Amino acid sequence: MLTRSIQRGLRIGAISFGILTYLILVGLPTRIGDAAMPVLAVAMALLFWISLRGGVSKQDVSARAPAPLFTAGTMAGLFAGALTATLIAFFTGLLADGVRLQPIFDKIVPQNMAALYGVMPGVIATEGIPALGWLRQTLFLTASGIVGALLVLIERSIRQRSFPRIPWLRWVPLILPFVLLAFVIWLGMPGVTFGGNNRGTIRLLATMVTIGSGIFALRAARPGAEQRVFGLLFFLAIAYLPFTLDQFQNSVMGIVFIFVMIGLGLNIVVGFAGLLDLGYVAFFAIGAYVYAFLAAPFSSPWVTAQLQSLGLPYNQPLVSYWMAIPITMVAAGIGGVLLGIPVLRLRGDYLAIVTLGFGEIIRLFMLNLSDLTNGPRGLLNIAPPYLFGINFGSPREIFILALIGAGIVAFAAYRLDGSRLGRAWIAMREDEDVAQATGVNLVRTKLLAFAIGALFAGLAGQLYAARQVNIFPENFSLFVSIDALSLVIVGGMGSIPGVVIGALALKGLPEVLRGVDEYRIVTFAALLVLMMIVRPEGLVPSTRRRRELHEDAEPIAGVDAPSALEQLATAEPTATQKAGRQ
Amino acid sequence: MLVLDQIHTYYDRIHALKGVSLTVQQGEIVTLIGSNGAGKSTTLRTISGLLNPRMGSITLDGEPIDHLPAHEITRLGISHSPEGRKIFARLTVEENLELGAFARKDKPGIREDMNRVMDLFPRLRERLHQRGGTLSGGEQQMLAIGRALMSRPRILLLDEPSMGLAPLLVEQIFRIIENINEQGTTILLVEQNAHVALSIANRAYVMETGVIVLEGPAAEVLASPQVREAYLGG
Ligand SMILES: Nc1ncnc2c1ncn2[C@@H]1O[C@H](COP(=O)(O)OP(=O)(O)O)[C@@H](O)[C@H]1O
Ligand SMILES: [Mg+2]
Repeated sequence: MLTRSIQRGLRIGAISFGILTYLILVGLPTRIGDAAMPVLAVAMALLFWISLRGGVSKQDVSARAPAPLFTAGTMAGLFAGALTATLIAFFTGLLADGVRLQPIFDKIVPQNMAALYGVMPGVIATEGIPALGWLRQTLFLTASGIVGALLVLIERSIRQRSFPRIPWLRWVPLILPFVLLAFVIWLGMPGVTFGGNNRGTIRLLATMVTIGSGIFALRAARPGAEQRVFGLLFFLAIAYLPFTLDQFQNSVMGIVFIFVMIGLGLNIVVGFAGLLDLGYVAFFAIGAYVYAFLAAPFSSPWVTAQLQSLGLPYNQPLVSYWMAIPITMVAAGIGGVLLGIPVLRLRGDYLAIVTLGFGEIIRLFMLNLSDLTNGPRGLLNIAPPYLFGINFGSPREIFILALIGAGIVAFAAYRLDGSRLGRAWIAMREDEDVAQATGVNLVRTKLLAFAIGALFAGLAGQLYAARQVNIFPENFSLFVSIDALSLVIVGGMGSIPGVVIGALALKGLPEVLRGVDEYRIVTFAALLVLMMIVRPEGLVPSTRRRRELHEDAEPIAGVDAPSALEQLATAEPTATQKAGRQ
Repeated sequence: MLVLDQIHTYYDRIHALKGVSLTVQQGEIVTLIGSNGAGKSTTLRTISGLLNPRMGSITLDGEPIDHLPAHEITRLGISHSPEGRKIFARLTVEENLELGAFARKDKPGIREDMNRVMDLFPRLRERLHQRGGTLSGGEQQMLAIGRALMSRPRILLLDEPSMGLAPLLVEQIFRIIENINEQGTTILLVEQNAHVALSIANRAYVMETGVIVLEGPAAEVLASPQVREAYLGG
C-alpha cells in the first residue's frame, strides 16, 4: 500500500516535472515576474490536485483515503521539486560559466532563472545558484503536493456532506445583491477612503458581483410574486448603476454588456440549435463596419467616392445611430444566411472548422479590401449616438445602451426558447434525421438560427463601433469568437442568465485584474478546469442541461422501480441501473 | 394508397435499392422482411424523404411525393419511426412526444393524442418526466413508436421495432402495433423477425440485396419454402 502510493507520487512528480520544464523553456517565469515561484507553486498545487484525484472528469473521489493521498502528494511534490531545482541549478550553472544558452533555449536567461529562485539576476550571472535556492524550490513544490492532497480531501468532504438546512438562509442570496449595491454606492461617495488606491477596482469588482448575485437571486426566488418583486428591484438596481459608476467603471461595464449581447446571440446558435460556430466574430464585425460606413462615410475611400459621384455630402453621418440599427442588423443577418447556406450539410467538427474559416475570411476582407475598409488603418471618427441632440457616446451612455440592448436581446432569446422555433432547434440539435421525420424544416430552422444569432451580434457590433469611435480589423480577431464561446460555456450552454454570468467572469474579471494581468492565464486555466469538474453544465445552467449531466440529481417523482417481470423481459438495463451498479 | 414504382436509391456509388416496387393499401399492415443489409431501412428512408431516389416514383394517393423534403412528407401523413430507437435521449418522455407533434398546431388534438399514446403505452405515462436515455430498451422503442404516432399519421413506417428486445416484450409491442392498426392507421412494418411480422401482417414483401424477391399475402409468404428456409430456420 505504502509503496504503491510512493510509486504513484513519483509518477505524478515526473509528469509534473515535464510540464514545469516546458513552462520554464517557454519562458512563463519571465512573464509572471517576481511572483514566479509562488504562482508556479499555486498552479502546481492545482495540477497535483487533479492528478491525485485521478483525472479531471472523475466525479467520485470517495475512495481516496487520507494517508496514501498525503504520501503520494508529498512524494510527487518532493520529486518534481528536486528535479526542477536541479534543472534550474544546471541551467544557472551554465549561465554563470558564461555559456550562452539563448541560441538554443531562448528563454533560459538569468532573469528567468532568478525569478524562479527569488534572487537578483546579477547574483545568478556571477555566482550561479545558491544552495538555498535549490532547497527553497524543492520545498515550495513539496508544499504544493501536500496542498494538492488536501484539496482532494476537501473536495471529498464537500461532495459527501449534505449541508444543514436553515430556513432564513434562503433570504441571504436574495438580499445580497442589494447589500452589495449599497456598498458600491457607498464606495463612490465623496470622502470615503476605504480601499485606498484600489478603491476603484474594488468598486468595479463589487459592481460585477452585484449583478452576478442578482442573477442568482432571481433564480433563487420562488416563482410568482416573489420573483416578480425581486425582478423589479433588481432591474431598478441595475438601471441605477450607470449613474453611480465613474467613467472607467462604466466603460468596463459597457464592454461586458456588449459581450452579453454577443454571448446571447451565440447562445442561440450553439446552445439552442447546437451548431458549433467558431466564426461568430464575423457578424459582430459586419455590424461594426456597416455602422462605420454609415456613421463615418468619409473614412472609407470607396464610400466617399460613391457619395461624391452622387453629389451627396460625405463628411457627415448618412443616418442617425437609431436609423442605422435595422440596417446593420439586416446586414449581419444576411451574413448569417450566407454562412448558413454552404454549411447546411455539415455537422459537429466540420461545421466548427468551416465557421472558423468564415470568421477569418471576413477579417481578411477587412484587412485587404482597403478601398472599402481602409485596411489596417481602420475606420475613424465614427459618430456616437445622439438622443434629442445630446451626445450619447460617453461610457455612461454606452453602458446604458448596452444594458438596454442586452435586455432586449435577452427577452427575444427567452421568447425564442419557448417558441415553436425553439423546439425545432432542440429537435435539430438532438438528431437531425428524427427532427426532419417529425416535420422540422431543417434548412429553414438552421438558417434561422444563424440569421437570428447574427442579428444580435450585428446589434452588438454597431454599439461596439460607436463605443470605440475608431475600429480596426484586429478588433475582430478569432479571440472574440473564442471569448464569446467561452463565456457561453462557462455560463452554461443554452442558459440566458448564464451568458451574463459568463460575460462578467470572462470579460469583467480580467479588467478588474488588469494590474495582475499575468495571472490571468493560470487563473483562468485553473478556473475552467475546476468548473468542468464541479459544474460541467456551466455556472447557471439551463434546467435541461443540468438534467443531462447530473442524472443522480434528477427528480424521479412518481417513478417506481422496474417490476421484476420487466427486468427479466428487457434485454438491457437502463442507464440509471447501470450507473447504480458501478 | 402508397405506391413505390421502380425505386432506385444510392448512397453515393452504392446502389442500395435496385428497382423496388411495392404498394400499401389503406388500412393494411404490410411487412417488408429481409436479412441484414437487404435495403429495408433504405426503403423506409426513401419513402420518408430522408433519402432521395435517383430513379422511379413514389406516390401517396396518386400524388408524387418523391421530390418532397422530409418535413413535408411528414405533414402529408407519413410518419417514420427510425431504426435503432432513435429517441431524443436527453429530453424527457413528454418532450419527446411533444416534438413528435411538431408539425401540428391543434393543441386539443395534441393533448388527445398524447393521452391516446399513453393509453397504448401505460409505461410511458409513468415515466413522463424521465429522460429518454434512461428508459429501458423496450420503453425506448415504445417511445419511438409513440412519438411517431404523435404526428397523427395515416401511414406509420416502423423500422425493426423488435430489435434487441426480449421475446415477451416483442409480443407485447406487436400486439400494440395491431391495436394501432385497428384504430385506423395503415402500417408498413420492416422486420428481420419474419415470423412475428408475418403473423400480424396482411401482405408481405421479401427483400434481398436491394430487390423484392417475393410478395403476396402474409400467410402465403409464411408458407413459401423460400422464406421457411431463409428466415424461419427450415
Ligand atoms: N449511410 C450509408 N452509407 C453507405 N451505405 C449504406 C448506408 N446505409 C446503408 N448502406 C448500405 O445499403 C445497403 C442497405 O442497407 P439497409 O437499408 O440499412 O439494410 P437493412 O435495413 O435491410 O438491414 C447495405 O448494403 C448497406 O451497407
Ligand atoms: Mg435496417
